[in-house]
Order: sequence, then C-alpha cells, then structure tokens
Amino acid sequence: MAAAMVSSAERAVLEEEFKWLLQEEVHAVLKQLQDILKEASHRFALPAGGSEGAAKQENFVLSVAGMDQVKGVLTLQGDALCQADLNLKMPRSNQLLHFTFREDKQWKLQQIQDARNHVNQAIYLLMNRDVNYHFKTGSEVLKLMDAVMLQLSRARNRLTTPATLTLPEIASSGLTKMFSPALPPDILVNFYINLNKLCLTVYQLHVLQPSTTKNFKPAGGSILHNPGAMFEFGNQRYEVSHVHKMECVVPWLNDALVFFTVSLQLCQQLKDKISVFSSYWNYKPY
Amino acid sequence: MAGNSLVLPIVLWGQRAPTHCISTLLLMDEASMIVTGCHDGQICLWDIAPDLEINPRALLFGHTASITCLSKASASSEKQYIVSASESGEMCLWDVNDGRCIEFTKLACTHTGIQFYQFMVGTQREGRLLCHGHYPEILVVDATSLEVLYSLLSKISPDWISSMTIIKSNRTQEDTVVAVSVTGILKVWIITSEVNRMQDTTPVFEEESKPIYCQNCQSISFCAFTQRSLLVVCSKYWRVRKATIRANYSLLSDKVIVWTEDGQSFIYKLPASCLPASDLFRRDVGKAVENLIPPLLYSVLDRADKQLLICPPVTRFFYGHREFFSNLLIQGDSSGRLCIWSVPDTLEQDCTKGLQATTSISLQEAFDKLTPRPAGIIDQLSLIPNIKEPLKVTASVYIPAHGRLVCGREDGSIVIVPATQTAIVQLLQGEHMLRRGWPPHRTLRGHRNKITCLLYPHQVSSRYDQRYLISGGVDFSVIIWDIFSGEMKHIFCVHGGEITQLLVPPENCSARVQHCICSVASDHSVGLLSLREKKCIMLASRHLFPIQVIKWRPSDDYLVVGCSDGSVYVWQMDTGALDRCVMGITAVEILNACDEALPAAVDSLSHPAVNLKQAMTRRSLAALKNVAHQKLQTLATNLLASEASDKGNLPKYSHNSLMVQAIKTNLTDPDIHVLFFDVEALIIQLLTEEAARPNSALISPENLQKASGGSDKGGSFLTGKRAAVLFQQVKETIKENIKEHLLDDEDEDEESMRQRREDTDPEYRSSKSKPLTLLEYNLTMDTAKLFMSCLHAWGLNSVLDELCLDRLGMLKPHCSVSFGLLSRGGHMSLMLPGYNQPVGKPSYDDMELGRKMSITEGLGKGTYGVSRAVTTQHLLSVISLANTLMSMTNATFIGDHMKKGPTRPPRPATPEMSKMKAPPSTASHAAQGQIKQGRNHFLQNNFVCLLRWSQLAAMHCVMLPDLLGLDKFRPPLLEMLARRWQDRCLEVREAAQALLLAELRRIEQAGRKETIDAWAPYLPQYIDSVISRK
Repeated sequence: MAAAMVSSAERAVLEEEFKWLLQEEVHAVLKQLQDILKEASHRFALPAGGSEGAAKQENFVLSVAGMDQVKGVLTLQGDALCQADLNLKMPRSNQLLHFTFREDKQWKLQQIQDARNHVNQAIYLLMNRDVNYHFKTGSEVLKLMDAVMLQLSRARNRLTTPATLTLPEIASSGLTKMFSPALPPDILVNFYINLNKLCLTVYQLHVLQPSTTKNFKPAGGSILHNPGAMFEFGNQRYEVSHVHKMECVVPWLNDALVFFTVSLQLCQQLKDKISVFSSYWNYKPY
Repeated sequence: MAGNSLVLPIVLWGQRAPTHCISTLLLMDEASMIVTGCHDGQICLWDIAPDLEINPRALLFGHTASITCLSKASASSEKQYIVSASESGEMCLWDVNDGRCIEFTKLACTHTGIQFYQFMVGTQREGRLLCHGHYPEILVVDATSLEVLYSLLSKISPDWISSMTIIKSNRTQEDTVVAVSVTGILKVWIITSEVNRMQDTTPVFEEESKPIYCQNCQSISFCAFTQRSLLVVCSKYWRVRKATIRANYSLLSDKVIVWTEDGQSFIYKLPASCLPASDLFRRDVGKAVENLIPPLLYSVLDRADKQLLICPPVTRFFYGHREFFSNLLIQGDSSGRLCIWSVPDTLEQDCTKGLQATTSISLQEAFDKLTPRPAGIIDQLSLIPNIKEPLKVTASVYIPAHGRLVCGREDGSIVIVPATQTAIVQLLQGEHMLRRGWPPHRTLRGHRNKITCLLYPHQVSSRYDQRYLISGGVDFSVIIWDIFSGEMKHIFCVHGGEITQLLVPPENCSARVQHCICSVASDHSVGLLSLREKKCIMLASRHLFPIQVIKWRPSDDYLVVGCSDGSVYVWQMDTGALDRCVMGITAVEILNACDEALPAAVDSLSHPAVNLKQAMTRRSLAALKNVAHQKLQTLATNLLASEASDKGNLPKYSHNSLMVQAIKTNLTDPDIHVLFFDVEALIIQLLTEEAARPNSALISPENLQKASGGSDKGGSFLTGKRAAVLFQQVKETIKENIKEHLLDDEDEDEESMRQRREDTDPEYRSSKSKPLTLLEYNLTMDTAKLFMSCLHAWGLNSVLDELCLDRLGMLKPHCSVSFGLLSRGGHMSLMLPGYNQPVGKPSYDDMELGRKMSITEGLGKGTYGVSRAVTTQHLLSVISLANTLMSMTNATFIGDHMKKGPTRPPRPATPEMSKMKAPPSTASHAAQGQIKQGRNHFLQNNFVCLLRWSQLAAMHCVMLPDLLGLDKFRPPLLEMLARRWQDRCLEVREAAQALLLAELRRIEQAGRKETIDAWAPYLPQYIDSVISRK
C-alpha cells in the first residue's frame, strides 16, 4: 500500500478512522485490558493493605506417578509456602524419612510475588489513562502499550522461566534450614514455579571422597540438575545420585497465565492498528 | 581505551536532534551539570551556567533499554562519577567529565532507585550504592567496582521496595535507611560502620517494620531541616484532583512541594498543627481527610508551551548548595526538554500567579540555534527547494571496500556517495563548497516511500555477487540493485508490512538458501528471498508478535524466529513448514542452542542500522572488532608476508582506516552517522601506499621511454618518472618505517608478478578498474586530510594555519567538530553539536572574553579543552599522523582532483611539471635531464612539506598548553600515554613518548612529585623488600 497513491478523499477517511481509533477504540481496549488484568490480579489473592491471613490456604499433593518413593504435601498461601510435608523413602535402606516446615517459617515463592507486582504495575499504568483521558497522538498510545507490555511479559516470564541455580546456591539458599527435623546433609530440596505448576525437586547426594578417581567437574546453573552432577559445598564434594521431580498444577496460576497471554495479544493488536497509520502520517511529498 | 586500538569517532548529527524522551534526571553537586536518562537508553549531559542557562554537551551510548535511575557515585568534587541503571538490569559507572564508561555490569533484576552513601570503613570513607527495584531486598553495591557486597533483608513480609531514603543523623554514628514496600510497609534499617565489616556473613534484617496502609506509595522523603518529619506520598493522594501525585520533596521546614504526572507542581505550607514534635509526620489516603488541607502557596506553572507529550514528564527537586544557587525544580519531558524553576526561599501566599520557569530548552532548540546548522552526512545532496530541512536519511550502509556510503532517504531514493568526500563537504571549508552536486554521487530511484533498511551482502559474505545492493522500504517491497550500473534488478513484493530488517543467512546453509536474503517485515513475517532465482523461496508469516531475532540451525535446515513476547517459532527452510512453536524455558534453550552452534552470530550483527536499542552494544563491539581484525590482518600482511602474491590483495584491506556507522537513538529517528577513524590503520595504509607508489607505475628506463611514447596517458607518465627518480629514496623510507622486506631484492619480480596477475586475473582487474564507475580518488589521503583537518587546533598560530591551508592542503572546519570517545565494552560518548557554546562552561571570566572565545572557538581548538582523555587521544592521533606524513615523500593533501578545481592557485611545481608533460615523445637523454631537474624540485618540495608537518607536530606536542592558556587546556592523561609507551604501532609509540616527556616537562618538579606520590601506592611491593634484603 503505497501512501503516494492515497487520494485526498481517502486521506480524509483515513484521518477520520484514526480519530475514531484514538478516541473510541483505544479506550475500549484499555477497559478490556483493565478488566482482564484485575481478574488476573485477583487470582494472586493479594491480601489488601498488607493484612496477612486474608489469603486462603490451598493444599497441593505432589508425587511422582506410579512411585511412592517421594511424596510432598505443600500448602500455598498467596505467594508463600506456609506448610510443607515431605515423605522420603531412601532407596537403599528403605528407611522412611518425614520432614515438615518449622512452625515459625514460611518459604516465599519470589516468582509469584514478582508476577503479582508486575501485574499491579501494569494495572496502575492503565488506570492513569482512564476514559476521561484524551489521547492525541498515536505515539502516546504506543508508549503506554510498550510500558504495559513490558510489565506483562515480565510477569509472564517470571512464571514461565524459573531461575537457573547452581547446586551450591540451592544448598546455601536457606531452604535446608526450614525443616524440622533438619534435612540430612545429603538431601537438597528446591521449590519453584514452572508455567502453571508448582514444582518440588529433591536431590539425593553422595559425598565424593577426595581420593576418588572420578574427575571432578562442577555443574553450572540449571533449573533441574541430572544425576551425576557434581558440586563443591563447604569444602566437601558431592555428586547427585538421585533426582526426584514432582509437580502439581495450580489452577489459578493457569488462569493468570491465560490472562497474561490474552492481554499481551490485545496490546499487540492495538499497537499494530496504530502503526498501520504511521506510514501514512510521516509521508512527505517528494 | 577500546581495547588497544586508537579509534576516534566523529559524529554527523544532522539537523534533527535525536529523540530524547527523558525518563529520569539528576543534578550534579554544585549545580554544574544536569544528567538525563531517556527511554531509549541514552544519557545526556547538560552543562549549566550560574545564571541557569543550559546547553547540551554530550550523549552517552551503551545501555540497551530505558534508563530507570541515575545517581552520583563519588563524593569528591574532582571525580565526577555517576551510575546509571537500565530496565534490563545493566548498571554503568560513567565519568561525566569526558563520558568515559569506567565500569559496567549486568544483573538479572531491574533497579528502580539508587542512592549514594558513604560508609566509614576504618578511617577510610568508602562509596556505596544502595539499590532497590524489582526484588525484595536493598542491595548494597560497591560504588567503584559495581559488585554486590551484601543486601538488607526483610524478615516480615518482604516485598519490592518502592522508595527509600537515607537519614543521616548528626547526633549518632548510626544512619538509618527508611523504605516503603509496594504493599505499604514502612521498614527501617540501621546502618553503621560495623554493618560494612560484617560483609555477607550474617544477613542484615530490618529494625522496624510497620504497615502504614498506603497502596502504591510513590515516594518518601525526609525533611532535612527539622530531622523529624517524613513525608510519604501515594498516588491519588488528593482525591479532589484527577491527576495523580507522582513524587515530592519537603522543601523547607514548613513547606511541601508536590508534583503530578501531568507536569504541574504545587507548593503547600503545612498547618502549624502538623509541624510539632510528632515523630513521623505522614499523610496518606486514609488520614488526609482528618487533616486540614494545607493552604496552597503556589502553583508552579506547567511547561512553557503546551506541547504534546507522549509520556509523563519527570520532575525532581534539588536543594540549593551555594549561596547563589537557589533551590531548583527541574523537569524533563518526552520531547527532550528541560525546564528549570528557581524556587525562592521565601514565598508569599499567591495562588493566582504561578512561578515562571527560569530556563527551558529542548535538545531540538539547542540544535536549531546553531549556525551553521549541525550537518548531516549528505545534506548538500538532499536539499529540496521550498523545504527548509533536507531529506532525512532513514537507512544507510557503508561499503569499506569501495569507500562508498549508501544512504536511503525518506522519499524512497538511495544515494551512493564517497564517504570521505561527503564528510569533507559537511565538515570542512574549501572550494568544494562552490561546486554544485559535489561530491559525485549516484541516485537510485525505485521505492515509493521511505527506505527502512539497506544491505550489501557481498560485504558479509563473498558468495554474493558484488554488484548486488538490497533495499527494503515502507512500501512493503524489497529491491535488488546493481550498484555499478545503477540498474534495478528485481522487486520482491511478498510482505504485507514495512520491511524492518534484511539479514544474511550463515555460511553453512543449503546451497539454495545460501543465495538468499532474509527479510523481516512489520506484519510479523519473515521471507527468504533468493537473489539468484529472483523469487521468494519461503515466507514464514502469521507470527502473533513482532519478530525480535532471527537465528539459524543450518545443520537441521531450521530458521528460528524469536518474537518479542518470548515465543519461538522453528521453521523448516526447505519446505516452509512450521516445525514447532514453543514458549518459556524451552524457547530460551532453543535460542541459546543456536548461539552455541554458531558462535559468530550472523543475525543482527551483520545488519548495520536496525534499532540502536537492541543492538547498540553488540553492534559497536562488532564494528570495533571488525576494524581491529582487519587491522591485524593488514599488519600481518605487511610484516610477515613477503610473497609478492599477497601484494595483490592489499587494496582489499586498505580502506578500513575509516568505518562509517549509522546509528539511531530511536526507531523513528533519521540516521546519525558516526565516522570511526582508526589511527593505526590509517598510518599503516599511508605507509603501505607510500611503499606501493613506485610499483603502481613503471620503473626501468625502457619502460619510461615506452610510457613517454604512449602520449595518451600523461598522468601516469608523470608518476612513473617521479617514481623512478625517487625510487631509492622511497625504498629507504620504507625500510625505516614499516620494516618490511617487500622491495628488498625481489622488487622486480614482485612488480612483474603483479603485472602478470593483473593480466591473467580478469576479476582482479575488474575489481580494480571500476569500483563504482564514479570519479577515482585517493581514499587514504582523503581520510587523512579529513581527520587531520578536524584535529588540528586552528586559530592558535596564524602563520601555521596559513601554511596548513596553502601548502599542506588541510581545510578549516565550518564549526567545531563533534568528536566522541570510545570506552570499555562498546560504550561510547558523542559530543553534541555546540557542546562548546560559551554558556556551557561556567566561566569566571567576564562575558566579553566569552564572546571573543566563541568567535574563534568555531575553529576546532575547543576539543583540547573538553577533557583530559579526549586531549590525550587527539594529541596522540595528530602527532603520530603528522610524523607519518613527515616520513612520506611530498605528502600534502592537495589532491589531484582538487588541483583541477577552478579556484585552486597552481602549485609552484606545477608549471615545471606541465612543461615536462608537454613534449610527450622526448628522447631519453632529455628526459633524464628533466628528471634531474624534477628531482631537485621534488626534494625541495618534499623538504618543505616535511618542515611543515614537523611544525604542526611540534605545536601540538609542546606549544599547545602555552597557546591555549591553562584554563582552556586540559592536559593529557599521563597513564594513558604511559600505556602506549610500547604501543605496537611505531608512530603511535613515538608520539606517546614525545607527549609524555613534554607533559612531564610541563608539569615541572612539583607536578612530577605529585604524580609519583599518587602512583606510589600502586607500585609493586616487592621492590622494597628486594632492596631491604640487600
């Protein structure tokens, strides 16, 4: 579509259409976005005004299908794990181990908190441009959409891409000190969110003797380490012998992700609509 | 700086100022400078005079995303360091005096606020940066190394910190950090000197945590006068108003200044009941109703003009520091405008009349008020009658092999022009100003609207035909051009949106794909366009989001498309089938795997002018690497390869002393062109050319006769003779200079082999004979001419200036040239046009002198008063080049094509020459006689040139401080010179040594002592122990 071909009549129509887009359509989309994001924000069950307790507790049972070696029951309250119940059956000794969170501790899932904060920031940006705001230029809308999309994609990315941690980082994360009775030194646990799932990984370790013939190669950062990964922690070398990965779908996280995706698409469609006109407007006759 | 090489950028800004949508701002101590950060990731430095006049000085490049916060990073006044953080987690430490990047780092998280704080470590004061952002802690970062030392943690409901303030107590050693989290919980940490020593052994938790029930707290601020009250500001604090309150500051003990997102500011006087000794004076949504609404004192008027803004402006308040600086309220907005209000200490109640802004200037206004207007690279070719502004250049690519710059413009035409000559026209005064349509250029017309991208595929890979130039435009089409004939070869119309990127597939793709170009369009589609078959072999469309990155898996025949929402689409190139569409971790892993498979990423690196935002760091790094690589190759060829066959390849390398890089600060901006001069490469090229000069013509007397018989080529006859006469001399010079053995004994062989090669290899000849069918010119000498003319300190020694103009062929600049400074990791600072406007420097001299300066300052000597690092680089360049030219025979810039010009007076030697040219078929003895005569002239001429160059070098080396006066001259940095003491390039090494000695002599004994004292602590300790053991 060459802008050079645009006749003056067509141009007038285009301008009229652009005006409609800025005055009507943009606000309609913004309203829709706000509604969706508020719905998403409710899913995060944010207790209003910092008063805890309001968030309801949900229990999730995590286990590996067909195997009863490891089983975990986690209680999620808002963005924190307030209770955890871990049952481990050691492979060799068949000894059953049982761990729970200490009463005074809870584990914050930073991914959920970050996602929630990003959504709230997006909502805040949208609220500043309510129906009474008069958009005068397309670039104003594009700028707003860019800012909103940045927050939304950050929110989604926080949930879809868990942090890649090295084994020493997991070992020193403080999660090991959360349990009573205390976790034995040859067990590491890690919690994270991956997409709509709450994940629990349990690593069983064995100590590498200094005299061992195996050549030691520390593993890098990863979301899930494989058996055989080696690391050094506290002057002691370890190797991962078993990995148990359990996960459980958190329904409201799934909803939130869908909301994020839908609103990102809405934003992009609005941006595309605006930028279609831009090629007409910066045209200057030769 | 940038690695080891001495690369100097010169910028051609064009008349349109770069987009600078201000996202944050900072006033430096003593109100000497304002620093602003923008949404596109650049940082602008503004000089501010005591009368609050402001002038933009430089633009700093390096961040790839929006700047989120700025903070000062040093306490001392002589080291002006700032730290900047961007949306993508990058942090940079800058020296704002010269725009050097001192240190940079990247964290996974985004900072939204940084505050500088000095800890006591023992007796030493150590600078620390307290950072908060999209993470639940406060990070304590070392202010010099940018390392995270430890963090302040929260025990009770940790959350993101939305704002923070440091309260310094006069009474105790303990200082407190007060912060409010996004959920409205006020937290207090106590920081003592012990905290610092603990390092990361035990976590530092908050002392106090208390909900204050305010959602979305925007800012907190502490009253520095009473030390008792803390002001907490939330959005929508005044429900009466529609506008939201953005941030504020308590002004004096009883006044509060508040500003809103639409750029208005209000000053309130607090009612007496609020003042008394309540510990924390806080106001928020809930409590506001109870309080009396404090009387409004002033409504500080909004921006001077009601220009449309595309995003909320940024406002900050700064206390006055000295007597004559009052309290300043500074606002920066999306159009790159800064407004300053000077807020008086005593305010009367006056609601009707607002306070007028003291100063207001935008970047564009600063550009507009300059005469001559800042030049664009091809402005002289883009002027259209009846339109004031020249056509904007929207895309460009530089072809170093031909020295040509290809510019696509907003009207759809493409201009091909010799880069150095067009730059000379824009920057320097000379007779070329009289010529219309100079320099010779070629215009390609075919697109019906703005050109968005250009690609010269042969430059990326030699498998492409060297004639092909590819362009993409807003009119959805991609066109193949033949740059030699100017013909349009083919138009592709396969996309449904503007073309945004043109890329070259990697080397190891299938044979069919190898001859394709990859085009990306704004309708989120990717096409593979075959240049050979002249058709689109694959179109991958219907991506939901804009395409951010294209990667390749040639071994699997996959094209990997990364979209802006983080999704990745994998396409089969052969069949055009969509293999997969993934998101999340898998997507990241697929993209990373592509990088591993192909370390030299061919995607956006090869593409010159995409979005600066995305590619600035990577690209400038790549450009520099490219230059460095080529230079090394040249060096290697010169020093190691003595085979004659390699000589034939030399022209291939010989153009890379100059790189032209187009950059855009914003996608919608016209191109800014940065000329990167590589001093080392330029020296090598000059010497190589000097070495090659006799070779280019004929040497033996027989040949000479033959040549003189061929009457039609008088020019080469002349050079032939010149060469013959000076052959010995040249040979010696070469031996001295490049220490290569190119001509030692096998020079005849070499020559003949070269001849043979030229005869047998038609491709080689064709590449030599018709680079662009435009006018031939000497690229190296032109580059040197441009560079030296820009660097020379004009207006200091009128006799020398005269000589430079007349004998050496240098040209005066139109106005002060905008140089730049490269620093680590592809960071770059570029001076803005008019950086040395008299208002910029807070001059303690009277205005009379300032005005006098401004007249002469247009002539370029301003660059030696900018900063010490800049002086060092410029002096090194100018002296090493002058030394090189000195060693060359008859080196002047009075070029051949210019000699034919209408106004140039003939050189003294020219009549002689033309006489020699006149009888074309002279007998050999007569010729020999003339040769002798010519030789004398030549030697004399040569000697004169030599003298001039040495005068030039001497002036810059020794006399500059005296001529400029110490207040206008920033001396070179000793450490930078010392680092080049053993530079690999002999000329640079000599220049550095001479400069260092001159500088040491200048600073005299006291200065030398100071230097030694300053460096002594860094000297290795073992020296002492060795001595003591003896």
